[in-house]
Amino acid sequence: MTQNMGFMPGCSLPSYTPEGVKQTMEYLKQVYPDLGGVQKCCGKGTKALGQEEKFKERFAGLQKDIDDVGIETMIVACQNCYKTIKETSDHTAVESLWTLLPKIGLPEEVRGKAADSDVVFAIHDSCSTRYEKEIQDGIRWILSELGYKVEESEFSRENARCCGFGGMIVPANPDLAMRVMNRRGNDFDSDYVVVYCAACRSSLMKAGKKSFHILDLLWGPVVYLDESAPEDVLSSPAKSWINRYKSKQIVKKVVKA
Amino acid sequence: MEFREKVLEQASTITDGCMGHEEAFCVAACPMHTDVKKYVAQIGKGDYEAALKTIREKLFLPNTLGRICAHPCEVDCRRNTEFGQAISVAGLKRFAAEKADRKELWDDAVGTPTGKKVAIIGAGPAGAQAAIDLRKAGHEVVIYDKLTVVGGMMRVGIPEYRLPREVIDFEYSYLEDLGVNFQMGVEIGKDMTFEQLREDYDSVIVANGAHVGSIPPVPGKDANGVFNAVDYLKEISLTHKFPKVGKRIAVIGGGDVAMDCARSSWRIGADEVFLISLEELESLPASQAEIDESQEEDVQFINGWGTDEILKDDGGKVTGMRLKKVISVFDENGRFAPTFSNEMKEIEVDSIVFATGQQVQDVSNGLLEQKGGGRYVTDSETLATNLPDVFVAGDASGGAIVVQAMALGRKAAASADRFLKEIDLTEGRQFKFEYSFETRLDVPLPKGTENLPRTSGNHRPAKERKWDFKPYDLGYTDEQAKKEASRCIQCECKLCMTECIMLNDFGECPQDIFSEFLEKGEIDPVIPYSCNMCGGCTHVCPNDYGIGETFMGMRKDFILHNDGKSPMEGHKAIEIHQKLGFSKVFCTKVKGVK
Repeated sequence: MTQNMGFMPGCSLPSYTPEGVKQTMEYLKQVYPDLGGVQKCCGKGTKALGQEEKFKERFAGLQKDIDDVGIETMIVACQNCYKTIKETSDHTAVESLWTLLPKIGLPEEVRGKAADSDVVFAIHDSCSTRYEKEIQDGIRWILSELGYKVEESEFSRENARCCGFGGMIVPANPDLAMRVMNRRGNDFDSDYVVVYCAACRSSLMKAGKKSFHILDLLWGPVVYLDESAPEDVLSSPAKSWINRYKSKQIVKKVVKA
Repeated sequence: MEFREKVLEQASTITDGCMGHEEAFCVAACPMHTDVKKYVAQIGKGDYEAALKTIREKLFLPNTLGRICAHPCEVDCRRNTEFGQAISVAGLKRFAAEKADRKELWDDAVGTPTGKKVAIIGAGPAGAQAAIDLRKAGHEVVIYDKLTVVGGMMRVGIPEYRLPREVIDFEYSYLEDLGVNFQMGVEIGKDMTFEQLREDYDSVIVANGAHVGSIPPVPGKDANGVFNAVDYLKEISLTHKFPKVGKRIAVIGGGDVAMDCARSSWRIGADEVFLISLEELESLPASQAEIDESQEEDVQFINGWGTDEILKDDGGKVTGMRLKKVISVFDENGRFAPTFSNEMKEIEVDSIVFATGQQVQDVSNGLLEQKGGGRYVTDSETLATNLPDVFVAGDASGGAIVVQAMALGRKAAASADRFLKEIDLTEGRQFKFEYSFETRLDVPLPKGTENLPRTSGNHRPAKERKWDFKPYDLGYTDEQAKKEASRCIQCECKLCMTECIMLNDFGECPQDIFSEFLEKGEIDPVIPYSCNMCGGCTHVCPNDYGIGETFMGMRKDFILHNDGKSPMEGHKAIEIHQKLGFSKVFCTKVKGVK
């Protein structure tokens, strides 16, 4: 890759796990020493409300930030960021972390680390990238590299079902959102579900599933049966914003290191 | 508020094309549109009375049709088109009738008297259906029939072993309950003139059927021992005998009537029965069931042969037939134009029954125009004739099977009712739904659909049944009926409704939601704002309709008309959330360094 690479954690991921952001960026920095960074919302929420003008304005702000720091290819870990940049930007390329990792490989120390885990993870694919097979394959590759066992459900990949979050229905129709979350939870036989969107993780936690972000599995301790999933941080606005702030500092620190 | 053109366009594409309310294949194929899907499901659940009521919403003859309907529903049944094993719809209908039908369930309400009187010629299924509908509309109805028994061709054409006469009488008693008056044994055109009938009544429906058997112009056709199917089946129906016929009988024809003649021949004491058809066995026009049952009963099929000459002795008595080998039955345009080779063979028979077509006998003394086969010339949509007060139904207008005759009876009655009320015959009428139509339903088979065999019924052994007139088919047992009903695929397109929870909160299918939006020009914002744009609906939609996309378009319009804000109260939090997500406090940009 000769392009200038940058990383953008997005919104829900930095609000959920500053540590995950840190470890991811540190690893990317090893591969791309001149890695840049942007922390900002992609504007998907604004767009989803139907605020066309405001979205244009806000995305233009993000685009300016990306251009200001000379990033040509933006690595993202959020499927909505991926889709928004891909559909909206006329000159910034976007690459999902989940398709990049199979290309650059995982750090030696994490490979095969979960080989003795007794957990079988169900996989919740993100509906916003239901037709992005490469992203879905990447997730499965990562899990296999780590050594985790997985099970596919009837509603995997392009048949993915909504987690209940993401299209702004939670605040508009909370009762419906809860029913959607519970239904999604029931799609999986396993209690353990791996996701690659932090908002999806929060939904599945609400549906009673032990839900892990794939970065939890990548950088965190090996998960065994009967262990509980990390706290549903996104349910607490205070904790979420504190984390978002911490992540911002991490972006700055890692890039400048 | 006004929505932009694009949203309206998307909504109307979905409204027009959504198959959510499209009829199942069976329901669309039935000319009476019996809710097959519903009653089959009810039988499956063991709720036989509910099933019977569902059938009776459309059919006054559930048991009769359950035994003898040519069931176009089964032809179009998805299990037939996919696997060649249709649901036994008719068999299930008969089962429901036998299990649950009783007079107390019959809806005998009639309309407020209009003071108008309608005469119906013919007590067959077309006339009976017309009579029912006209009584429901409040008109006085009198049925005239030259026979002394009700049922028309069902009574004197369809053999008793297929349709017991007490079934017809029981089901026809409904007409008496509705106050239909019968003038039986009165032949219009003979005992009473058509002109007189028109004078005495405000409107006339001609449903006299096709009761004249025809014999093709073959050499020797006047020999002693040549009969036509209509006379043959009628006499056997009424008397269980046909004294003029011999012991070695040839039936000429390849349709269901020919099969009925052949099978009836055993029952009046034949020693040998031949069935001779122009068509080869695999292209006989008769139903497969009738072919199979005839063969079980040892009727000898001689397929692909035509009559060259009827052979007779000096006394003019039939002694046999010379047959000529058929090369082709139809010409390149699909018209009936048989061609033969020089190959000949002879068979020895003493009687020949021609089941090669039936004609309509004119009752109008020439007042009504007739065409091929004596069928009356009518407007195909309304069944109106050149006489404003006269309508035609059933065989007399070109129907071919009982359930079609009923639909035509209903159509003629609807036209007569309009005529009597001085309403235009066509205005606001949806003719498509007055007869079989092709459904737009086009969906993949449900996941995991297996090819399950049709549940066979309980036929009496051929060797036993072929000698009597008792029912040959004993019908389904409870267990068989439930098993058969459980094969029904319940064809529908509700794929998005299975996929999406939200849509179910606002309608039965997208068509409901978007047509209401188009009608009212507005929509409760909670509807578009309840869609998470996950794309699941579009993913499963056979037409790939952008349902979420359309909701998105609506959202944009709501924002435009609401000062850039969402109309949903709860979205204030999102506004703040987004503002913070773009604020300096939480954002940063850092240029990479080496």
